[in-house]
Amino acid sequence: MIGSPRRRLLIALAFLLPNLAGFLVFTAGPILVSLWMSFTDLQLTKHNDLSDVPIRYVGFDNYARILWGDESHLFWDYFGNTLFLMLGIPIGIAGSLALALMLHAEVTPSTARGRRRGVVAGLVLTGMMCLGVWILTTPGAQPSAPEMSTEIGLTDLSAWQVDLLRSRGAVLGAAVLGFLITAGLAIGPVFFRTLFYLPNLLAGVALFLLWKTLYKPQGGLVNAGLEPVLGAFHGAVRAAPSFLWYASGVLMWVGALAASVVLIARGVMKLRHGEAGGAALAGRLLIVATLSSMAAGAGYLLVQAPERALLPTGRTMLDAPALSQAVSAAAAELRASDPEVGTELLLRASERLEPPVSVAALSDYVDALSGPTAGRAVRREALSLTEPTYDGLTSGDSLHPPEWLIDEAWAKTALLIMGIWFSLGGSTMLLYLAGLANVPPELYEAAAIDGATGWRRFINITWPQLAPTTFFIVVMSTIGGLQGGFEQAMVMTEGKADTVVLAYYVYNLAFRDQFQLGLASAVAWVMFALIFVLTMVNFRFGSRMTNE
Amino acid sequence: MLFAGLIAVGVSFVAPFVWQVLMSMSTITDVDLLSKTWFPLDVRPENYARVFDQVGYGTYFFNSLFVAGWVTLLQIITCSMAAYAFSRLRWPGRDQLFLLYLGTLMIPGVVLMAPNFAIILQLGMFNTYAGLIIPSAFSAYGTFLLRQFMLTIPPSLDEAASIDGAGHWRIFTQVILPLARPGIIVMSIFTFLFNYNSFFWPLILVKDDNLRTLPIGLLQFEASHGRDTPLIMAGSLMAMAPPILLFLLLQKHLVKGVQLGAVKG
Repeated sequence: MIGSPRRRLLIALAFLLPNLAGFLVFTAGPILVSLWMSFTDLQLTKHNDLSDVPIRYVGFDNYARILWGDESHLFWDYFGNTLFLMLGIPIGIAGSLALALMLHAEVTPSTARGRRRGVVAGLVLTGMMCLGVWILTTPGAQPSAPEMSTEIGLTDLSAWQVDLLRSRGAVLGAAVLGFLITAGLAIGPVFFRTLFYLPNLLAGVALFLLWKTLYKPQGGLVNAGLEPVLGAFHGAVRAAPSFLWYASGVLMWVGALAASVVLIARGVMKLRHGEAGGAALAGRLLIVATLSSMAAGAGYLLVQAPERALLPTGRTMLDAPALSQAVSAAAAELRASDPEVGTELLLRASERLEPPVSVAALSDYVDALSGPTAGRAVRREALSLTEPTYDGLTSGDSLHPPEWLIDEAWAKTALLIMGIWFSLGGSTMLLYLAGLANVPPELYEAAAIDGATGWRRFINITWPQLAPTTFFIVVMSTIGGLQGGFEQAMVMTEGKADTVVLAYYVYNLAFRDQFQLGLASAVAWVMFALIFVLTMVNFRFGSRMTNE
Repeated sequence: MLFAGLIAVGVSFVAPFVWQVLMSMSTITDVDLLSKTWFPLDVRPENYARVFDQVGYGTYFFNSLFVAGWVTLLQIITCSMAAYAFSRLRWPGRDQLFLLYLGTLMIPGVVLMAPNFAIILQLGMFNTYAGLIIPSAFSAYGTFLLRQFMLTIPPSLDEAASIDGAGHWRIFTQVILPLARPGIIVMSIFTFLFNYNSFFWPLILVKDDNLRTLPIGLLQFEASHGRDTPLIMAGSLMAMAPPILLFLLLQKHLVKGVQLGAVKG
């Protein structure tokens, strides 16, 4: 090395300066400032250029207020919501691993010749499927006599028109399926990897908006798929007494708990006796976590089933008195802010709406007339007015799918399911693919000589070899999970229906509710403490799991 | 069997997007029909043009590309220079400072939001492009990623250049930068994507409609035109185009990048 230490430092600083300046002003500095803020009552509506109220040092008051003061239930609620959404992490990891294993298995042709053949076969298959569906489903000539029209959504269609559209839709479906098969055969794992990674790449407002329409109670894809399935279940729910459903739900929970205890206990025993290593125990923990999250979810559904079947939904019909009561409630709410709009709503609704009207139709009407606030108010009021009986339902033959993003009982689950969809093909899958590629092939050859195949091969070779990868993934997803959830909740529910997570709480305090930067910083630092502790726990477990 | 499984999973990933394309070409009144028929009554590609008339979609699009592009360019400059100092030069305090950089990676982003907001207010950059770009133009993560990459370049190369009389600036620009190109590409993709999708910071920083980036613009669009599902779907589909193009063009680098960050991290 040339030059005195001083000279070398100067050269280094010259290179470092642009980055270091920004780092100090926008990263390192703010960290210290934020820590200081968390001990003050800083609030931009009080402390700004226009006023000279001094900023007060309040010690640990902010922390006390959040964690055990009068408002502490907020923090713990939001923390609970955050943890609930993190239930998706083990499921996501297990699913990503399954996808990576499937991609790694090289099921598609790997030679150039095989691929060419694959393309030809795929194209022929696509053509045949499309043509077949076209021939089988296209309805005959349009009947000349006018038909009874049915109403789907807001459109009136004749049965023939519906058949024609369905047929076109089916042909489109066949074409898409054919494309997937052809591309899969031609390009192989890279094609599927790209496809599975897409959601992760696009994760942002644009894709959340798509999911928001997927979850729409009417006209959403999720419920369109669920309706026939639930219709079949509804008879069963109505026929069997409700305690049976509670009992089976609780049984599900107890069973999951018992199975978890047994699995973990056996793992610990094996570890004690030196029969299996820490990796196996960690594997068990992951399996237990996955299964029990799923069982907990299923149990929750079962316990909820009778109530869901009973509760009034958007399709409940309102008679004249209920209708006028619901409308006046909405009008009252509106009048508080704008008397004219409220009165107009009252007049117009009583003029135009003829009972019986469904709750959904009413709230849609009010929504269109005077905005979502009144729509929600009328909906809430109407639902509370309706007796929870089977007879309240117009189409008594089907169990209604949930109103995902509106209903408090379901909104978090909706976000959880969406989160799993996002995480399945994401970085986790890519990391596992890299991990799988790095497993030495000699290990598999040795195992083949011993006669180990399938599951045993996975448990004894693949899983322990992937331990460092798993460890990294668990650490990163825990950190991400504790910080995450803000954008989803903001876009899909605006924090309503009990979906506020910790990051959202910080946003609310700092930028919505009077710019309370001091209090918000305290919450952010509590989050950091949680992340730090969980990461340390992960490292304790992880070092045991990976060093063997 | 496994192939059928892959296809089945593939369908579950593709179906929402196919449905979105169909919705984007439908009309407001017919959109609910799609969940039953999977085909619109009228095919209306002109929805895509209408998006630009209804809101400042073109402006949002430009802002997103402009902000993400500038952030990426500035990060390439600041991070590669800093990475050079951390990986190639020897100076007192280097390892301590690098450890400080690494340490800040553990701090959650929300910790920085409140003070950064206050700082930007003080600097008078609230509601400006500068406020959107400058706080993101320096990244500890990018510096870390590039440093790891530069460490893999054999030191004999710049020693040879040094003997030939090249100064640090020439070594940096003519030896190290060209060799670090794959690493820089990886960092650029991550940076661009992250800032293109960035939500929290533009949300709190921008008040004017003509400074909104796509995520914020789309959210606003949904709030004001919520009932016009076809338009919103057309808008969000177009917003997805740049990341998809980028990924298809550079996916080898990106996949490597995810794995690089993990192995070294």
